[in-house]
Amino acid sequence: MLFSEAMGRKVVSTDTASTVGKVSDYVVDPRLPGIVALTLSRTPQGSALPWGNIIAFGVDAVTVPGAAAVVEPDQYLAELAGKPHTLRHKRVLTTSGVQLGTVLDVDFDPAMGRLAALMLEQGPIDAARLLGVGSYAVMVRA
Amino acid sequence: MSILLRSSEIIKLPVVTFAGEDIAQIKDIMYGAHGGEVGGFTLNGRGLFSGPLKTALPWERVVGLGPDAVIIRDEDALTPTESLLAAMQSTGPAAGDILGSQVLTDDGAALGVVVDVVIEVADGGGGQADVVGYEIDPAEGLGRGTNRMLIPLPDTLSASGEYLMVPAAAREFVTDDLAGFGAAVDDFRAHLRGQR
Repeated sequence: MLFSEAMGRKVVSTDTASTVGKVSDYVVDPRLPGIVALTLSRTPQGSALPWGNIIAFGVDAVTVPGAAAVVEPDQYLAELAGKPHTLRHKRVLTTSGVQLGTVLDVDFDPAMGRLAALMLEQGPIDAARLLGVGSYAVMVRA
Repeated sequence: MSILLRSSEIIKLPVVTFAGEDIAQIKDIMYGAHGGEVGGFTLNGRGLFSGPLKTALPWERVVGLGPDAVIIRDEDALTPTESLLAAMQSTGPAAGDILGSQVLTDDGAALGVVVDVVIEVADGGGGQADVVGYEIDPAEGLGRGTNRMLIPLPDTLSASGEYLMVPAAAREFVTDDLAGFGAAVDDFRAHLRGQR
C-alpha cells in the first residue's frame, strides 16, 4: 500500500463504531525501517496512534479497539514525527555521494507496518537500503 | 568503476551523515603524498552566513565522494583542523599551492598554469582519491591554442608549490575533455611503466 493511498483514511473504534480521527501522516523509524505510528487529525484527544494499538490497517478504514488507542505522542514519536524525518519530497542520496532523485511516495506492508520500497521518479528503491532520514536527505546504501 | 571529479566540483559539496543531516560543506581540499592524493578536506558551516569550521575531515573517514555529496558515517568523522593540517604538511603542498603552479616537464618545457585538479575516486569510496591530472591554462609554447587542457599525471610526482614536475611524455597525452580523460591517464601510466 502507498502512503498517498491511505492518506485521509478514517480511523474507526470497534467498541463504539465511531470515527476517532483521520490519517494525516506517517511516523517512520528508518532503523526498522517501518511505520511506528500514525499521526491523526480531527481526533477528540491526542494525535498519535502507535502502530501496536492498531487492530487492522484495512482497505477502507483503520480499526482500533477504542478511542483510548489515540494518545499524545511521547518523546520518541514526537522526534520522529518532526519535519526533518519525513520521507516524502526529500532528495535521496547514496553512500557513494550520488543523488538518485526525490521520494514521491512510499510503499509499505499494511499488515506489519514495514516499509517495502521508496518510490522515485526513476523507479522504486528497496527499503532495506534505507540508512537514515535527516533534514537534508534520505540516505540509502549504494 | 571509478569516477573523475574536478576539485572545483568538490568544493561547496555538502557533507552528509548516514542520518541524512548536512553538517558541513567542503571549503578546500588538502593533498597528501606530495600532492598525489587527497588527504582530507577543510570545512565551512552550512548556510549563507556560516564561516569556516574548526574541524576538518580526514580522507580515511569519508565513506563516499560523488558528484552530489560527501558522505560520512557521523559527526565523529571530523577532527580538529590543526592536527590534520600538521599531519598533511609533512607530506605535501596544500590546495592553494597547487592551483596557480607552473607545470614543467622534466626536459624543461613549461606546459602551463594549473587552474583545476582532476581527482579519481574508486566507486563506493573506501579506496584512495588519487590526483590523476591537472587542468591547465596552456603555455604558448605548447602550441595548442588557449583553451584549457587536461594533462595526465604519473602515479607519483614532485611538487614544490612553485613548480610541478611531470615526465616529458605527458605532453603526448594532453586531452581537452574529461570524458576521455580516464583512458588518457591509463594509457599514459601504462606508457611510463613500459619505459622502465
